Amino acid sequence: MKSQPMDNLVYLEYAVAGIIRYWLINSDYKQTIGDRVEISTSLNSWRKVTEGAYLYSEGINPYVGDNFHETPLGLIVFNKLISHIPQWIGIIFIVCDLVTAHVLYRTAQTFMSELFSRQMRKKEKYAKGTETLLLKQSDLVLPPVYVASAYLFNPYIIFSCVGQTTTVFANLCLAFTFLLMIKGQRIACCSVLALATLQSLYPATLLVPASIYLARAESSSSLEDKQSLRASSCILTVVTFISALLLLLYISSELTGGWEFLHATYGFILNVPDLRPNVGLFWYFFTEMFENFRLLFICVFQINATLLYLVPLTFRLHDEPMLLAASLTALMAVFKSYPSLGDVGFYLALLPMWKHLFNFMQQGFVVGCSFLITSAMGPIVWHLWIYSRSANANFYFGVTLAFATAQIFLVTDILLAYINREFSLYHGLHHKGSGKTTKLVLE
Amino acid sequence: MGLLTDPGAGSGKFTQLLVASHNKLCVVLYIGGIIWFMILAHEHFNAGTYFSENALLPGLVKGEFDEDAVAKVYQSELFDEAARYPDGIPFSWLLAKFRQLNLDTYTHNFTLNSPLGLGMKYTGKNIYAILRAPRSSSTEALVLSVPYRPPSSVHPGTVPSVAIMLALAKFFRRQKYWSKDVIFLVTEHEQLGVQAWLEAYHKTTCGRSGVLEHGDMMGRGGAIQAAINLELHAEKIGYIDVKIEGLNGQLPNLDLVNLVHRLCSKEGVRHTFKNRENSNYRDIYKEWLHSFKILMAMVTTQATGVPNGNHGLFHRFGIEAVTLEGFEKKGRGSPTLYFQIGRVLEGLFRSLNNLLERFHQSYFFYLLPATDRFISIGMYMPPLGLLCSALIIKAFALWHKMQEDPNKAEPAEEEEAEEIKRAPSHSEKKGSSNHFSLVPVGMTVLLTHALGIALLSSPQMLGSQGLEYGFSTDTSIYVGYLVMTLSMLFIPLFACRNGGAKVESWTILNIVALLELATLLLCTSMQNFSLALLSAVLYILPSLWMVPTQSRVLGTLQKVVWLLLHPLCLLTLIVMIYTALSFPDEPILELLEKGLIATRQALVYAVVDSYVYANWVFPVATAILLPNWLLFWVVLHSRPHQEDLKTEK
Repeated sequence: MKSQPMDNLVYLEYAVAGIIRYWLINSDYKQTIGDRVEISTSLNSWRKVTEGAYLYSEGINPYVGDNFHETPLGLIVFNKLISHIPQWIGIIFIVCDLVTAHVLYRTAQTFMSELFSRQMRKKEKYAKGTETLLLKQSDLVLPPVYVASAYLFNPYIIFSCVGQTTTVFANLCLAFTFLLMIKGQRIACCSVLALATLQSLYPATLLVPASIYLARAESSSSLEDKQSLRASSCILTVVTFISALLLLLYISSELTGGWEFLHATYGFILNVPDLRPNVGLFWYFFTEMFENFRLLFICVFQINATLLYLVPLTFRLHDEPMLLAASLTALMAVFKSYPSLGDVGFYLALLPMWKHLFNFMQQGFVVGCSFLITSAMGPIVWHLWIYSRSANANFYFGVTLAFATAQIFLVTDILLAYINREFSLYHGLHHKGSGKTTKLVLE
Repeated sequence: MGLLTDPGAGSGKFTQLLVASHNKLCVVLYIGGIIWFMILAHEHFNAGTYFSENALLPGLVKGEFDEDAVAKVYQSELFDEAARYPDGIPFSWLLAKFRQLNLDTYTHNFTLNSPLGLGMKYTGKNIYAILRAPRSSSTEALVLSVPYRPPSSVHPGTVPSVAIMLALAKFFRRQKYWSKDVIFLVTEHEQLGVQAWLEAYHKTTCGRSGVLEHGDMMGRGGAIQAAINLELHAEKIGYIDVKIEGLNGQLPNLDLVNLVHRLCSKEGVRHTFKNRENSNYRDIYKEWLHSFKILMAMVTTQATGVPNGNHGLFHRFGIEAVTLEGFEKKGRGSPTLYFQIGRVLEGLFRSLNNLLERFHQSYFFYLLPATDRFISIGMYMPPLGLLCSALIIKAFALWHKMQEDPNKAEPAEEEEAEEIKRAPSHSEKKGSSNHFSLVPVGMTVLLTHALGIALLSSPQMLGSQGLEYGFSTDTSIYVGYLVMTLSMLFIPLFACRNGGAKVESWTILNIVALLELATLLLCTSMQNFSLALLSAVLYILPSLWMVPTQSRVLGTLQKVVWLLLHPLCLLTLIVMIYTALSFPDEPILELLEKGLIATRQALVYAVVDSYVYANWVFPVATAILLPNWLLFWVVLHSRPHQEDLKTEK
C-alpha cells in the first residue's frame, strides 16, 4: 500500500505548496487576503488574536470586552508566540498547514486500505456483474495523493493559511481527529476532538462518527457479545470526550481566572452577535430579524447547523462513518455561524477519498461551475457594495447563497452517489423495477 | 429538489437531449438572448421612471433665481479675461470673484508625472469656493463643478457655465435654507483636474502611486452627497443633454437622473439623453427603433469604461453625479437663457439640499432607452444570462461527451482550479495507463495567464525602450504589443507537442476556456454591463465554434475568424471603423493612416487611464481576455476529437 514513489511525490508537493505559501505570506497580498471577509471572520481572524494578546499582555482580561473570541488556550499560546517569536509566526502557520495535509494523507491511506479490506469481506454478498464497480488494488494508490494535493493546492486553503486565520489550527485538530478516529485510538481521538470543539464548538457532532468507529474497532478485535460491547464502547467514548472537554474548560478557566471566556467564545458562536458579512447564511437573516424573534431563529439556525442532519445521516450512513464524518464536516462548513473558506477547503480536500463514487455523481459539473463563478463573483460584488456603493447587501448575499447551494448540491450528490453505488453492488448494475426505471431517494 | 434526489438526472432524457442538440440549443440561446435584449427597448418591456427618494421633493417650491443679468456681466468679463490667458485658467479673476462673494475660496495644485516616457511633469490648478451651510455644521456637501477650457482647447468652451456658476453662487449666498455646504469647483485639464481634486479631498490615491500627485487641500466641506457638472457652450441654449456614464461603466443613482429631467421639464428646458429627445411616433416600429438607438448609444458609451464627462469620476467615491451639457441654440425658436438654467440648477440644489441620507433608494444598475424610461438590472440580466449559458451548455456537452468516451476519461474534480493544481500528481502515471494527462492543460493555462500578466506590466518598459531608439511612446507601445502578441501566436507549437497530451486534454482545455470566458463575462456584467454585453455578442458565437476540426478549409476559416477577434486586432478594427464613420469623405489611404494613429493613441490612452484613474478595461483585456483568447487558439491547433472525426466521416 505504501508505495515509495507516491510518498516522494507527496513530499515534493509539500515543498511546492510550502514555497507558494511562504511567498504569499511574505508578499503584499498577505494583508489583502487576510482582510477578506470570506477568509477571516471575527472568530478566526489574526487581527483579533493580536488585539486579544495585546490586552492580555497588558493585564486586561480580553474576554470582558466584545473583541476577542479565541479560547484561553489559544490566547496563551498565541501570546507566547507573538511576544517571543513574532518572526516565526508565518512559518508556524505554513508548517501547521503542511502537517494537516500530511495527516490527511495518512488518513486517506488508512481509509483506502480499510475500504479495500471491507470490500474483500463483503465481496460474496455483492450481485453478479458488479465487478467493474469493485475497487482494485491500483485504485487505492492515487486517492491519498489527491487528498493531499487537494488540501495543499486548494486556493481556499492557501488563502486561509496566508491570511493567518486560526482556521488553520482548527483544521489541524480536525485532521488529527479523522486520523485518530480511523486508527481507533480512543483517548487521543477524544482529546483532539475536545480541542477542536473547544475552539469552534460545532465539531462536537463528529463525536457520533467517532464513537461508531471506535466501537467498531473494538468489536472487530474481540469476539464477545457485539451489541452490548458496542453500546458500552460508545458510552465510554462519550464519557472520555466529555471529561476531556471539561478538563480543557477547567484549564481554560484556571488560565484566565474566570469563566467569562465561555460567553466570549461559545456565547459568541451560538448567539451570533457579530453580523459582519461572511460566506455563511446567518448575517443576512439576522440583520433583518425583529429582535423578538431572534432567539427562536437562532435556535432554528443552530439546530439546522448541528442536530438536524445528524440523526438521519447517522441512521443512513452508520456503515460508513468516515463518509458520515465528512458530510457532517461539510454541513458544518455551510451552516455554521461564522464559516470561512478555510472550512470549505477542508472538506473539499476529503472528497477524493471517495473517488470511486465520482462516476456516480451527477452534479459535478454544475457544482464545479457554481464554485468557479461564485468564487469570482463574490469579491466583485463585495467591491461594488462596499467601495463603489452601487450594489447592496442583497447582491453579496445572493452570491454566498449560491455558493452555499452549490455546497449542498455537492454533499447531497456524494451521498446519493454512495447510496447508488451500494444499491448497484447488491442489486446489480442494470435493474428495472416494474417497467419503470427505479428511482432512488435519499432517506 | 427533484433535480437533487433523482440519480438519473445526469443520464436522463433531458441531459441526453441537451447533449445531443447542444449546438442548436446554444445558437438558439444566443439569438434568443440578443432578441430579448433588443426588445427591451420597447416601452412594453421596460418601465417608466419614478422617484424612490421622497426627501427630494422635486420642484415643490417656486424658483426664485433672478441673477441672470449678473451672469451676463460675468460672462462678458470672463471672455475678456480668458483672451488674456489663451492656455491657462484665469485664476486670479476667478479667485477675486469668489472672494467678493465672501466664500471660502481656495486653490488646489496637482501634478501629473507622465507614466510613460520621459518623466515629464504637467501641473494644473483647480479653484474651489465653499459656501458654508448656515443651518448645519458642514457635515455634508454638494458640488457644482465646471471644467474650465481655455480658448486654445479643442473642446467647445465652457465660459457660460462659469458665468452661471458665479451668478448662482451670488444667489445661493443670500439664501438661508442651506443645510449642506455647496462647493463651487472650477477644474483644469478636464478629467485630470477633477480626479486630482477628488483624490485630494478624500486624501487617497486611486491609480498607480506616483503618477497623479493630488497635492494638498487647504479647506474642505462635509462628505459630498451629490455633484452636478455643468458644461454650457453658449449663452443661448438649444437643449440640455444629460450625461451619466462614469468610470468603468458606473452610473449615478437613477433618482438623480430623474430629478434633472423632471426639473428641466418643469422649467420648460428642452432636455435630451444621448442628444435625442423622446419620440412620439405612432408607428410601433419607429418608436422602438428610436428607443433602441438611444439604448445602443448608452451601451456603447458605457462599454468603453471611460467617463463621458467630469461627473464620471465622482461615482467611485460614492458621490452621485451627472453632467448637464448645454448646446448652442441653432435655428429658430426661443432659446433657453440663463434665467431658466439658473432656475433648474436652483431647483436641483434645493432638492439635493433636502436629502436626509445619501442616495440609496433607486437603481444604480439600469439602462435608459429614453429620458423617462429605464431598464433595470432585473430586466437586462436575463438576456446576458442566456448568452452566457450557451457557453456553459457547450462546456457541459463537451464534458459529457468526454465522460461517455470508451477510454473513459478520468472523472475530474469539482473545481477547475483544483484540477489544474492537481496536475503534478498525474505526471507520475503518464503513459502507465490510458488516463490522459492534465499537465499540458495546467501548463497552458498557467503559461498563457503568466504571459498576460507580463503584457500587463510591460507598457512602461516598452515606452522607455522605444524612446531610446527615438520612437514616440504610442508607436513603441503599439509595435511592442504587436510583436509580443504575434509571437504569442506560436504558443500552440510548443503546447501541442507537449508529451502526454491526449485529445481529452485539449477537450478539457476547451472546457476551461469556455468556463473562463463565461465567468469573465458574468463578472464583468456586474461592473459594466454594456462591456459584457458587447463582448458577449462578439465572442460567444465564435468561441462556441472553436472546436478543432479535420477539415482544412474550415480550420483556416476558424483561425481567421478567431484572429479577427484578437483583442488588439479588435481594437484596431473598431477604431478604424469609428474613424471611417467620423470622416466619411476622406480617401481610403488617409483613412487607414488616420485610423492607425488613432489606434495607437487609443492603446496609450487605455494604458494611461488604467494608471491614472484605475480604469480596469486595459488590465482585464490584457490579463484575462487575451490569455483566454490564447487558450481557444491553442484548442484550435490541437487534434480533433476522435468522436467528432467519426461523425464527420
